[in-house]
Amino acid sequence: MGVTVDVAYKSLNKFTEILCGDKVELLQTGDSNIMILADGMGSGVKANILATLTSKILGTMFLNGATLEECVETIVETLPVCQVRQVAYSTFSILQVFHSGEAYLVEFDNPGCIFIRDGKLVPIPRNIREIQNKKINEYRFKVQKGDALILMSDGTIHAGVGQILNFGWQWEDIADYALRQYRVTISAARLAASISRACDELYQFRPGDDTTVAVMRIIDQKPVHLMTGPARNKDDDQNMVAQFMSGEEGTKRIVCGGTSANIVSRVTGKRLNVSLDYQDPDIPPIAYMDGIELVTEGVLTLNRVIQLLRTYVKNETVTEDFFLELDKPNGASMVAKMLIEDCTELEMYVGRAINSAYQNPGIPFDLGIRQNLVEQLRKAVEDMGKKVTVHYY
Amino acid sequence: MRVTICIGSACHLKGSREIIAQMQQLVKENRLEEKVDLNGSFCSGNCVNGVCVTVDGELYSLKPENTKEFFEEHIMGRL
Repeated sequence: MGVTVDVAYKSLNKFTEILCGDKVELLQTGDSNIMILADGMGSGVKANILATLTSKILGTMFLNGATLEECVETIVETLPVCQVRQVAYSTFSILQVFHSGEAYLVEFDNPGCIFIRDGKLVPIPRNIREIQNKKINEYRFKVQKGDALILMSDGTIHAGVGQILNFGWQWEDIADYALRQYRVTISAARLAASISRACDELYQFRPGDDTTVAVMRIIDQKPVHLMTGPARNKDDDQNMVAQFMSGEEGTKRIVCGGTSANIVSRVTGKRLNVSLDYQDPDIPPIAYMDGIELVTEGVLTLNRVIQLLRTYVKNETVTEDFFLELDKPNGASMVAKMLIEDCTELEMYVGRAINSAYQNPGIPFDLGIRQNLVEQLRKAVEDMGKKVTVHYY
Repeated sequence: MRVTICIGSACHLKGSREIIAQMQQLVKENRLEEKVDLNGSFCSGNCVNGVCVTVDGELYSLKPENTKEFFEEHIMGRL
């Protein structure tokens, strides 16, 4: 059984800046997950360009099997030289975790990676290699389930410097805080949000530097199956439901759509209980069925789910308030929460039937285009660094 | 008596929520909690007209405006 990862990050922009000078890339290869954090020199557009170039070059080259030497060389040759400082510079950290459990960490000038195992900090040894006059730390190790690895830009350790704290938030203190938060949070997203929130508070909500926290937690695979829409051809119902209900033990299942729920109920012979509790005036109530974790209405709920996921992916807007919204008991928040926090890969089973009731000018938006919603959902979940497969019927 | 109100997408947009609220109120006002069992259901298959409401298996289409009238006639009228 291989390991898989739960990844999330949160960036704060330097106060008054519209662009962030830190950049995180989340990538997948056939046998590994990669998280890259780059911090461009300066702030605003310039830093953003440096960090984006660095993280993209590293990501693309790594994906294609280039060596670290080749990557660093390319970055040095490519980055535009700053007019003020006459150097081209961006720090970076790369963390690659293979499904076999092998891990590879590369660090250049960022604060050290915080490595938590069994509720304790694990020191990362120094093993410096010089490439293109840059001192780069490399570490090869094995991860195990439950481990958390945190990459940071230096905005974290500078939090509060000269204001609330004389010397900023020391690495040891951040690590200690991360350890405490590690115990009380379940997902990478919440751990990243809580550390970044603490930085924001130390900066008194006016960050003096771009601040990024990127978290990877090593977890078991958590497949989620989501079914929405009836098959175009009624004869395929049986097959569609059978595929939807298949999969290994521990797979969570969501049905989004009234007709779909009725079909699943009919094929599996399990009773569908629809509640009348409107938790949110715009989202129809959820329903309950044995063997299915979550049953909701279709298009209206999915529309809201996509909005929530987009807010999440956009990152700047993810605050602790976002998680309060996610914890609400309405269908859309529940689906979004499962996709964000309890899912490593998503399989969607999508029916192409068209509901004639939605071809009605009285309805405020084009509900007929379920496939459009599905594509938006796929994009949002992929942007979270998760694998998505869509099956049409 | 079993009354089910559709809360599927189309019915939701036509006012299921308001009809449910009105019905719950009417049941309470008339002290019919023991006699009338309000339930939800997903798509009842008649999305084109009003909100689908089933009374003991018989299908009706409602609008929020005529809920009170419907309740008096078809629900209280049958008890």
